[in-house]
Amino acid sequence: MKVLCEREKLREGLTVATSVIPMKSTRPAVENVYLVATDDALELVGTDLDVAVRFRIEDVKVEEPGTALIPARVAADFVRDLAGDTVTLRTKGDNLLIESGDDCCELTTIDPDEYPVVARFEESDSVRVMAATLTRLVSRTSFAAAREAGRYAMHGILTQTEGDELKMIATDGRRLAMASAALEDADAGSKSAIVPTKGMQLFCRVMDDPTELVAVHFGESQFCLKTTKAEVFARLIDGEFPRYSAVIPPSTENRLEADATTLTQKLKLVANVTSSDTRAVRLSMEKGALTIFGRSASTGEATAHMPVDFDGKPGTIAFNPDYLIDGLKNCESDTVRLEFNEKTSPGKFTLGENYVYIVMPITIDA
Amino acid sequence: MTDLDAHQDSPPDRVVTCTARIAELPERVRNQIAAGEVVERPASVVKELVENALDAGGREIRVDLEEGGVKLVRVVDDGIGMGPEDLVLAFCPHATSKLRDVDDLEHIASLGFRGEALASIGAVSHATILSRPADAPTGYRIEDEWGDVSSVVDAGGPRGTSIEVRDLFLRLPARRRFLKRTSTELGRCLDILQRLIIAHEGIGFVVTHDKKRVLDVEAGMDRRERVRRLFGADLADALEPVHGEDGTTLLTGLVAPPRFGRGDTTRQMWFLNGRPLRDKVLIGVLKQAYRGLSVEQRQPVAFLSLSMDPALVDVNVSPTKSDVRFRDDRRLFGFLVATIRRALAATDMATPGDRMLSTIARRGAWAPAPQQAPLPDPGPQRDDGSMRGARPASNVDDGFRVYEVPASGESARADDPWSKPDDLAGPYVKVAKTYILRAVPDGFEIVDQHALHERITFEGLKQQLAAGGVEVQRLLVPELVEVSRSEGKLLETHAAALEGIGVFLEPFGDTTIAVQGVPALLRSTDSDALVRDLIAMLGRIGAPPPATELLEEVLHSMACRSSVMAGDTLSDEDVHALLRRAVEVGGAQTCPHGRPTRVHFGLADLEKAFHRR
Repeated sequence: MKVLCEREKLREGLTVATSVIPMKSTRPAVENVYLVATDDALELVGTDLDVAVRFRIEDVKVEEPGTALIPARVAADFVRDLAGDTVTLRTKGDNLLIESGDDCCELTTIDPDEYPVVARFEESDSVRVMAATLTRLVSRTSFAAAREAGRYAMHGILTQTEGDELKMIATDGRRLAMASAALEDADAGSKSAIVPTKGMQLFCRVMDDPTELVAVHFGESQFCLKTTKAEVFARLIDGEFPRYSAVIPPSTENRLEADATTLTQKLKLVANVTSSDTRAVRLSMEKGALTIFGRSASTGEATAHMPVDFDGKPGTIAFNPDYLIDGLKNCESDTVRLEFNEKTSPGKFTLGENYVYIVMPITIDA
Repeated sequence: MTDLDAHQDSPPDRVVTCTARIAELPERVRNQIAAGEVVERPASVVKELVENALDAGGREIRVDLEEGGVKLVRVVDDGIGMGPEDLVLAFCPHATSKLRDVDDLEHIASLGFRGEALASIGAVSHATILSRPADAPTGYRIEDEWGDVSSVVDAGGPRGTSIEVRDLFLRLPARRRFLKRTSTELGRCLDILQRLIIAHEGIGFVVTHDKKRVLDVEAGMDRRERVRRLFGADLADALEPVHGEDGTTLLTGLVAPPRFGRGDTTRQMWFLNGRPLRDKVLIGVLKQAYRGLSVEQRQPVAFLSLSMDPALVDVNVSPTKSDVRFRDDRRLFGFLVATIRRALAATDMATPGDRMLSTIARRGAWAPAPQQAPLPDPGPQRDDGSMRGARPASNVDDGFRVYEVPASGESARADDPWSKPDDLAGPYVKVAKTYILRAVPDGFEIVDQHALHERITFEGLKQQLAAGGVEVQRLLVPELVEVSRSEGKLLETHAAALEGIGVFLEPFGDTTIAVQGVPALLRSTDSDALVRDLIAMLGRIGAPPPATELLEEVLHSMACRSSVMAGDTLSDEDVHALLRRAVEVGGAQTCPHGRPTRVHFGLADLEKAFHRR
């Protein structure tokens, strides 16, 4: 193959591809990036077998179509450090030459047959959504997904469509974030998939134009995204997601409304004394006032007050402040609403329009 | 059956017609098969015969072995002996002097009782018994050659019984093939003998192998003396006595400081009413008692006797009698662990210097200089007749200083009222900002500042945790854990206690438990693993662990993070405060991970290092 392309575009493509490609794999072929030069475009393919990306660079001059499998990280680093504006990729025997001006690098290649097959995006039955919408839903929910521990199904984001609505839910068993937004399509039917958090974050990375209309496809074993530049595939998590609707309290007796910025600041203040041997901060509320209190046997205690709107029975509920601060970071409205029934039942935070965050309380002196 | 084919003279009744496929085995074959259960290898013969000798009231027991016991095992005792009437029955299966009817099984006090041993041994070897009762004018002899029992003949002999077992399994090649090398078989025999020797104070033992004396213990030696003779003075001197009573149950014996832990269990001995045994429950007791003090995977060294009402324990579980069944093992477990831990707290957990020196020598970094016969050492000039040793050598020019150490012949022990109390005072020498050297009344010690501070922090955190309540993180979605029906019941019975340590469980069907809440300090808990651990602990000790223990992992890492690190510079005041707090906290001899916090070089160690001893 022989291809001439812009260095900056190649660099961008290699960066996206290498973000997927693993450093070490039991299949050495996947530590490489797969280059495919067709008549009018150069495609960079990378995968870790769970997530795969096809990054397409147009405006290239293909003198000789072909394929090559080359070490991904070396190629990406070399192209990043090149000074010239254009780069030529050209095979020479079993090697691939990367040339730019007076500089050149010759990389060994591997037989492309060893590379796993990466699917192509299926246009049929796909759903169209604004890039910004998708990105926003992911950032509203992904932080609540389980990381190392917990049930495997909770390591992903439950992604659903219902009519013209797209909804995402993530939970680690202690808190749950749920957000929804409108699709561009009037009726997308009802679809559902658990998408690994890592895959979702990659989706967000390739969508650099928030106004772009992208297409998503709920495949049998994969969740796929197509933008003008790239196609991304994430293998679905097979498992049973917790029944989230049962967790959200349908009606609540206590309701508190507070300024989100002030609440965040006060929580951080009090959380300074907790965290080493305690996890909880106590929120005591009465009409018009909220007291935040934290105590650690080893360091001491802290109290903060702030005015709030409170409607309900005066009482106390305790939470892990880290969980609350995580949610408040994503709060989109000026005021945050907390609703709950008892100190042992879930607290429901409303962080914006169609954005709910549920946190389980901590009980003390059991 | 192939292993029996080697037997030369098959009795005619083994020939069966093709219509009768099932035939009753002749007695000889039955005995050879049964022998496999009791007699596995020479060590089992040694065990059976020595136990018989002990039951016969022998005060001096001699054991002669040849070729690891395969060629010969001879056990000679000076006990009551057997008359001709007894000898006739000696090789009959299920003939025993120790049991008359089933009710006797309820209170077995003798070591042997099943009446299987001699018949089994006779079936697989050439065995000879020579015995003379105290009141008989002559002795008697009977032989059993591979199941052929001779008649009893008169024979001269000393008072007592001598049983000789030759050529074990010689005619059973299939069994013989499974015997190991001579050294291995000998090792197993000696292991059994060491256990019996430690168990039976008041009995003298002599053991020879290929005519060389290998073990020798006099009747008058107590347990510590016996350990000294068998395993050396280092271990014997460091042992701490254990004593505890719980109703009719009595635990006595000796435990070694954790640093003596070994890769194997040869020095872990349990005796139940005098009977050596390796019981899983008892091994678990030691593991639990040494938890947090000893590095994982090291087997503690202990010599412990448990005496209890024979009605509370079933020893008739297996033919080798190494396993037993306790009536109330949970209560017993708790009592044993607590008693042993009490004794352990009193042991000296600092790593002694001489051990380190020998480790260094083994690694080749340091070797003792070749020995030349030294001149008799008159010692330094004495000026007050009682004090010998380091005079204040004032400040030597090269910067080294010698501190006065009140030296006497034997090391000054902390409990010696005449020794100067350790005031923890300096001067301190700090090495690599990590190790603190300090003179102590009987030598010097090296303290690892990080390890010691970590231990102190850990103890503090434990106290705080015990004082405050346990925070419980409620779960949004209960995590379901599959358990067996009995495990579910177990968890249900202890539900209230588990809530006390922050674990909220709810039954969810017969075999599923829903975890509703976990201690908030456990950052990322795997509920499944947590529940399994709890089941294991409940099953073993019958009560949930204290909250601190459950959170120990967390506390460990917290203690580690918030402690003085290796490389932090400490002032003399800091060091003094650290040492003083260590004394206040107590038990600060190992860090929470089981590493030693201090290494102690006694005067004896120094003398050894400089070849003064």
